[in-house]
Amino acid sequence: MPLVAANGLAFHVQEVGAGPPVVMIHGLLIGSLASWYFTAAPTLARSHRVRVYDLRGHGRSERATTGYDVRTMASDLAALTADLDVPFDLVGHSWGALVALRFALDHPERVRRLAIVEAPMPPSSVTEMAAFLATDGDLPDRLIDALPAQLRDAIAGGGRRSERLLQSLQFLLTGSSLLADLRNEPDVDDAELARLRCPCLVVYGDRSACAPAGARLARVVVGARHVVLPGGHYLHLDARDALTSALEEHLRG
Amino acid sequence: MTNGRDDILKVVETLVVEIAGDELLLAGPITMATSFNGDLELESIEFVALAEKLQHHYGAKVDFVGWISTKELDQIIALTVGELVEFIASCRS
Repeated sequence: MPLVAANGLAFHVQEVGAGPPVVMIHGLLIGSLASWYFTAAPTLARSHRVRVYDLRGHGRSERATTGYDVRTMASDLAALTADLDVPFDLVGHSWGALVALRFALDHPERVRRLAIVEAPMPPSSVTEMAAFLATDGDLPDRLIDALPAQLRDAIAGGGRRSERLLQSLQFLLTGSSLLADLRNEPDVDDAELARLRCPCLVVYGDRSACAPAGARLARVVVGARHVVLPGGHYLHLDARDALTSALEEHLRG
Repeated sequence: MTNGRDDILKVVETLVVEIAGDELLLAGPITMATSFNGDLELESIEFVALAEKLQHHYGAKVDFVGWISTKELDQIIALTVGELVEFIASCRS
């Protein structure tokens, strides 16, 4: 089912495995469905029907010029899961975790279990963005400085892949409303977080700038399980096996 | 290399070109030693597309995702065409 129409855009969707459904959402900019496809998804697919998709403007989904706010992206998620006839599990990384959280708050009857990985709270603190938001520069140099070393080296090395990544970043940062949407994204307040009722796993890296958000979620979300893993913001890369185990355990319930 | 592997290599090359364009072949034909990441510079999302096309071509018997689940991230990043061809051959035997 590679391309699926939703909210007037074509989304790239992939599904692997069989069993109860779990939907996994990636983070912004350098993320794509491949972020999960090559990390936690293959293991979860042994016991689950795992659906992953490229967020609007990312990977092979259509390059939308607007709609990078969490509510619009949660409505993309609603449209892309409308065919699932049972409550499903939701896993999100970074901005994708904010989208998952918003969806779980607005559609509690649709979500069985929720896993929040490295959600930036407040949203404008998203690691990839923090440095970039501070400037109005039109080249993503600062963003590149904030990337995991492996990726930064790949870009520095030049070549086909780095050119394509830079083109994609250029579009998102200068040809779309993404930065403005991020700046304007409101935080989720404690009273709303306290209304979350589905079992919730909260995972953060011990070296991540987002880590204080994990402590806050653990304090405010009723019954949340808080796991801290060795790594930074990109935990699916920094702690792939440990993160996968934590997700497996949570979804097994 | 057996004929089976020659055929699989040809299929992989055809599918890679379908996904990423034939300029990938400018540096020479794809061989068993070619790496997806270092030599072809495939994007990870293109590698997903390759997995999907292989699944369509060979059917459920080739469990690419199950195979990936047994590999370390470093091994995935260093994956060569030859390793993929051997994996497909092993599924078909």
